Amino acid sequence: MIKKLIVLTGLVSSTLFAQVKTDVEVPYISYEIKMGKGFDAVNANCLMCHSFGYIINQGPQSRKFWDEKINKMIVHFKAPIEKEAHETVLNYLYKHYGNGKLK
Amino acid sequence: MKRRDFFKTSIAASAAIVGSSLSAGVTTQPVDGRKISEVAFPEKIPMITYSDRPPLLESTRSAFTKSLTPNDEFFVRWHLPDIPTYIDPDAYTIKIDGLVDRELNISLKSLKHDFEQVEVTAVLQCGGNSRSAFHPVAGGIQWGSGAMGCAKWKGVRLSDILDRAGLKKDAKWIGFNGKEKAAYYESPNFIRELHLEELDDHVILAYEMNGEDLPYLNGYPLRLVIPGYYSDSWVKMMSHITVTNEYKSLFFMDTAYRIPDNDTESETPENRSKTTKPIAKMNVKSVIGYPLNGAKIAHNSQLVVRGVAFDSGLGIKDVLVSVDDGVTWESSLLDNSAGRYAFKAFRFSFKPSGYGKLNIMAKAVNRLGEEQPLAKDVLWNHGGYKYNGIDTVMVEVV
Ligand code: HEC
Repeated sequence: MIKKLIVLTGLVSSTLFAQVKTDVEVPYISYEIKMGKGFDAVNANCLMCHSFGYIINQGPQSRKFWDEKINKMIVHFKAPIEKEAHETVLNYLYKHYGNGKLK
Repeated sequence: MKRRDFFKTSIAASAAIVGSSLSAGVTTQPVDGRKISEVAFPEKIPMITYSDRPPLLESTRSAFTKSLTPNDEFFVRWHLPDIPTYIDPDAYTIKIDGLVDRELNISLKSLKHDFEQVEVTAVLQCGGNSRSAFHPVAGGIQWGSGAMGCAKWKGVRLSDILDRAGLKKDAKWIGFNGKEKAAYYESPNFIRELHLEELDDHVILAYEMNGEDLPYLNGYPLRLVIPGYYSDSWVKMMSHITVTNEYKSLFFMDTAYRIPDNDTESETPENRSKTTKPIAKMNVKSVIGYPLNGAKIAHNSQLVVRGVAFDSGLGIKDVLVSVDDGVTWESSLLDNSAGRYAFKAFRFSFKPSGYGKLNIMAKAVNRLGEEQPLAKDVLWNHGGYKYNGIDTVMVEVV
């Protein structure tokens, strides 16, 4: 009887047998980041919620575009970004990932 | 249109892309052939990788030659970076509460044993799939056309679960919450609310994908499957269902995944639509899986073009292929075996008789007669949603 029970439990749990049995490690990717004035502010303000890859995948953009993105982070996602840091990050992004246009 | 005019307009169009004074949005073929990452993510082969946190992985074009997309090539899109790294299937439960007669906590085991098990083969596509087609750039991930896939999902009907809990009379909205969390405590979590009327018997809570456990990055152990709808509501790692009678205002519901609320669902960069609506159901679309852009094809060899086509479930009637820049179109052969929400695999066989550059174009048509527009005729919207232009690959016949 006891033996049977064990077999049964074995069966039941085998239907729940998970493909992944231990922690999953999501790899880190190192993105090529252009170093320059203001990067520290990006590091401190922009990488707590997502990777650098997420920020730059839209390609070179206008100053207005980057300004609006930073605003979106503050308004919609409640990113705690100070006015000063906002300006520093904006200057950095526009300089290194800008398309030369203000608007 | 005369040939000369054609060149004139295409020069004007490309000038508009680089020019500084855009008066209207312009649409082109989406970016294709992006580099595959050297690093493979859990349970995946190396894919096009936009971000590690949150993980954003795109399938390559070659995944789209068959009606089911393999789990290890299936695209991945999370919104928030904080995903639990371990889930114990023996302890996992899903909670159903709110306006119900009985609050439930259902274990995975109970879900698999105490409910009717059902299967549906359905396309999962990000609303922003192919977003890189839109200029000026539309906000969000600049996907090529690989933010989609089709799988056979197995699970339990949502309606069976709601029936077991018993909906109260004034129940109207069903909120779904997964285990994905924002990294910052004040950021809104990714919650979706759907109106009861949108949820029919085809909606399931799935634990299996193509005969295997859901891959971790595709929402293990449980995700919502809403056939015919874009994937923004297919909540992953589902842990909580709440029934309410009034709609809560949530960022991801009210601001993201919305398109202009007008007949053409379009706007211009300068003149944005004031009113918006959810992206909801998928439009008719097809993607060529073979050959790839830039492939060399031997002159007069038998070339079999393969790809997939789908819509919101109305059904694909025809996939037309053109090998003369859209002057003439011929029907391809369709594999109709997987049901109306699935990819229809198509194939088209011909002998390239000329030499040099050759455009191969595919256009799907559904039962209502809706067909894909040319890429340049897809109208712009600021979120870059619902691109469904005719796919074109250019090969070289040698
Ligand atoms: C509090 C968290 C948080 C912080 C801090 C934050 N972001 Fe974001 N960011 C988000 C979320 C959430 C998304 C959208 C996720 C989604 O929809 O997939 C996002 C998306 C983006 C995108 C993608 C485009 C878009 O419109 O969604 C860009 C670009 C971006 N962030 C830039 C930045 C920059 C630059 C900073 C620093 C100034 C920053 N973010 C700081 C949370 C944050």
